[in-house]
Amino acid sequence: MASNLTTLPPPNDLEATWSFLESGIDQIMNRLEQGLSYKRYMDLYTGIYNYCTSSRMNPGFASEPLAGPGSNINNNRGANLMGSDLYARLISYLERHLTQIRAESEQYMDENLLRYYTKQWEKYTTASSYVHHVFRYLNRHWVKREIDEGRKTVYDVYTLTLVSWRDNMFSSVQHNVMDAVKMLIQRQRNGETVETGLIKLVVESFVSLGLDDADSSKSTLDVYRDHFEKPFVEATQNYYKTESEKFVSENSVTEYMKKAEARLIEEEGRVQAYLHPSTYKNLITTCETVLVKDHTDIMWEEFQHLLNMDKLEDLHRMYLLLSRIPDGLNPLRERFEEHVRKAGHSSIEKIAAEDALLEVHKKYNDMVQNAFRGEAGFVASLDKACREFVNRNEVCKSSTSKSPELLARFCDSLLRKSAKNPEEGDLEDVLNSIMTVFKYVEDKDVFQKFYSKMLAKRLVNGTSASEDAESSMISKLKEACGFEYTSKLQRMFTDMGLSKDLNDNFRDRDNEQSHVDFSVLVLGTASWPLQPSTTNFIIPEEVEKTFQRFKMFYQNKHSGRKLNWLFHLSKGELKTNYLKASKAGYTFQVSTYQMGILLQYNKDTSYTFEYLSQSTDLTPDVLIGQLGTLVKAKVLLMEGDNVGDTGSRYTLNMDFKSKKVRVLLNVPVKSEQKVEVEETHKTVEEDRKLLMQAAIVRIMKTRKTLKHVTLVQEVISQLSNRFKPKVPDIKKCIDVLLEKEYIERVDGQKDMFSYVA
Amino acid sequence: MATGSTSTNISELKKIKLTSSEGTEFVVDKDVGEKSILLKNMLEDVGENDMAIPLPNVTGPILTKVIEYCTHHRDDFFISQDDDNKKTSDDIDEWDSEFCKVDQGTLFELILAANYLDIKPLLDLTCKTVANMIKGKSPEEIRKTFNIANDFTPEEEIQVKRENEWCEER
Repeated sequence: MASNLTTLPPPNDLEATWSFLESGIDQIMNRLEQGLSYKRYMDLYTGIYNYCTSSRMNPGFASEPLAGPGSNINNNRGANLMGSDLYARLISYLERHLTQIRAESEQYMDENLLRYYTKQWEKYTTASSYVHHVFRYLNRHWVKREIDEGRKTVYDVYTLTLVSWRDNMFSSVQHNVMDAVKMLIQRQRNGETVETGLIKLVVESFVSLGLDDADSSKSTLDVYRDHFEKPFVEATQNYYKTESEKFVSENSVTEYMKKAEARLIEEEGRVQAYLHPSTYKNLITTCETVLVKDHTDIMWEEFQHLLNMDKLEDLHRMYLLLSRIPDGLNPLRERFEEHVRKAGHSSIEKIAAEDALLEVHKKYNDMVQNAFRGEAGFVASLDKACREFVNRNEVCKSSTSKSPELLARFCDSLLRKSAKNPEEGDLEDVLNSIMTVFKYVEDKDVFQKFYSKMLAKRLVNGTSASEDAESSMISKLKEACGFEYTSKLQRMFTDMGLSKDLNDNFRDRDNEQSHVDFSVLVLGTASWPLQPSTTNFIIPEEVEKTFQRFKMFYQNKHSGRKLNWLFHLSKGELKTNYLKASKAGYTFQVSTYQMGILLQYNKDTSYTFEYLSQSTDLTPDVLIGQLGTLVKAKVLLMEGDNVGDTGSRYTLNMDFKSKKVRVLLNVPVKSEQKVEVEETHKTVEEDRKLLMQAAIVRIMKTRKTLKHVTLVQEVISQLSNRFKPKVPDIKKCIDVLLEKEYIERVDGQKDMFSYVA
Repeated sequence: MATGSTSTNISELKKIKLTSSEGTEFVVDKDVGEKSILLKNMLEDVGENDMAIPLPNVTGPILTKVIEYCTHHRDDFFISQDDDNKKTSDDIDEWDSEFCKVDQGTLFELILAANYLDIKPLLDLTCKTVANMIKGKSPEEIRKTFNIANDFTPEEEIQVKRENEWCEER
């Protein structure tokens, strides 16, 4: 096929070569749809190859020096590469070609312009990639060399075609194209169905035209960002500014929030559908500003209303919208806190404190979790509000220690044997919610005091409902406040167990037959919050022997231990055999003091107050209290005006009657209880002083010298899981320690303390 | 033949026709032909048809050699980027060095063909072979090897030697 060769232009002839190439390029650019034969393609390639190699394409090259003539040796460029002429002519061809396309574009507007632009773009880029391949030899050698040498204005052929499009086509039509794009998007926003494929192609074209001038092999988004994104985002801003203002004036806030949410979702979808992903942030931030930030005031206002109405769905929507913008949620958190606090206070006024606390907490905790996605800021607000109304409410106006006392009493009511005891499963739930409230209690030490007092009572009186429930509660407290907090409580249980063994042991050893049933609890003074007895007491002779035997038994077992007998907490049972009303006899459940009084009547049936006072050695007020109950129950009959009057007489009632066989006479005396509560609060105060002093010494020991302010802060932070120390109290403790010379003031420095070793 | 690999087998079986400068037709498997980036690009652009692809700058004997090379290396995975760190001429394997044992004329024509057809590994191989022919030789020996006339003046010769002192060590 010799004819193949004849169609090629002579290698050295630029004019012939170019006119040969131009007709080919023109075919590719304009009539590619008619196809291109292998031969034509190869001829174009070969034409370029031949031209570029023409300086060396001499016959008999084998004998020609490969490295070129020796005179070239100092030339850094080495071999002389042909190609700049072809490159220059290609540039001017593209210019002519694109001028024509641009001229034709002028007759189109709007959607038709988009259609024309995208169609021409697709055709041009497809053709350009052909041309790029046909010019591959030029790319590989001449272009590569130019680029390697740092020539910024030389690109590979495909990039050249893009540069040319940008300079000759894009620069003059982009405004109109963008106007059309904005128009189309606006129509879509208005609800029309539009050909989004056109926009997608425009985006692609703008992105492709972002060529990095410093390095043509890299691309940037500059063109897209400046000429597409910027005008588009501006148009978006204007559109939504107008729309949202109009909508707000005509609709409710909740309706507006729905609208804004839908619009934001729509715009997010728009980015995915046909925009460049880099636009996401800019577009969405702009929308958030126009749709949310510019309307925060009305939303913040609406928030209170939604809270009042418990509109969870709308609250959730508002949360989602406002969480998009910086600081959008802050006012909500504040208002939420205020709202919870109010709700807490008002419900406390209505119902029992503990239930109120639990109920309010549950309701708003659910709201935080569901409507606000458990967001940390709202959790903090809830905690703050709860702490506030748990510690400072109507019930405990006087002091913060009322709440923990009430809470401890509530625990007691649950754990003490009673008809109302909840089922075990429910009990666990209630205990858990108690722990929720407990978390907010500031004066945890007060709770501890009352709790241990009541626990002691439950244990001593044997009124604890369930050992499992008791230990479950203690392990919860341990979890919340640490080992130390509950160690005393746990020791109390240990003592109970030890006492049981001890009693068994004693009964086994006690070989002397006794008609007295006797059991004793030996409790460590350190762990049990029990008050010593305020009165003397002569043990009735009926139990004296047993009492002495146990004392001996215990001293033998543990020499050196001192037993303090708490008769005021002890009790006993007496069986009657003097009453006619019951043949079997009644059983009196009595306090030890009552036992001491009643057993006197084994010898005689009537005594004066003075005699009883002497024979029992009880202080008058205790004796009056105890006698009072016996008189009231008509076990004794009084002669005289008031119990305890001088000369008053107490005679055994031989006609005593009761419906029950067991008669409970051991009822607590009212005045005792009140005193006890006050006592407890007082001991708390004392304990606190010691705790604060201990903390100060601990801190000073490690820090050696410290400023007053820092010291106070440290004390507060160290003790915060027990109670909230007041600054004046800390100051007092510091003064005490200064006096005791644990610490001293540093000379010449104001408010500076140092530790005295 | 396992059905799982059908698609690759079909593409392997596809043939293309090449015509050398004298008009001799060669039929080769498509994947062998596509070792030439020129042919690969063109087949992608134009699409496939039954027409022969004319190669006006390659003679039959050289095309035979090129096809031999491409067939041998059809399954190689060429790393297209030229690695500047690995410029060495000592990494020619046995088959390749056997392949390059041809007369100088053929070797140079292979270089031209590899350049024209855009087959980088073949271009590298043939250029390395020429480099090895130069390596370790004195200028006079090199002139002799490639039949080059010495057209330097004595002064020029001294200057060139001074400029290239750095490479004399090895």
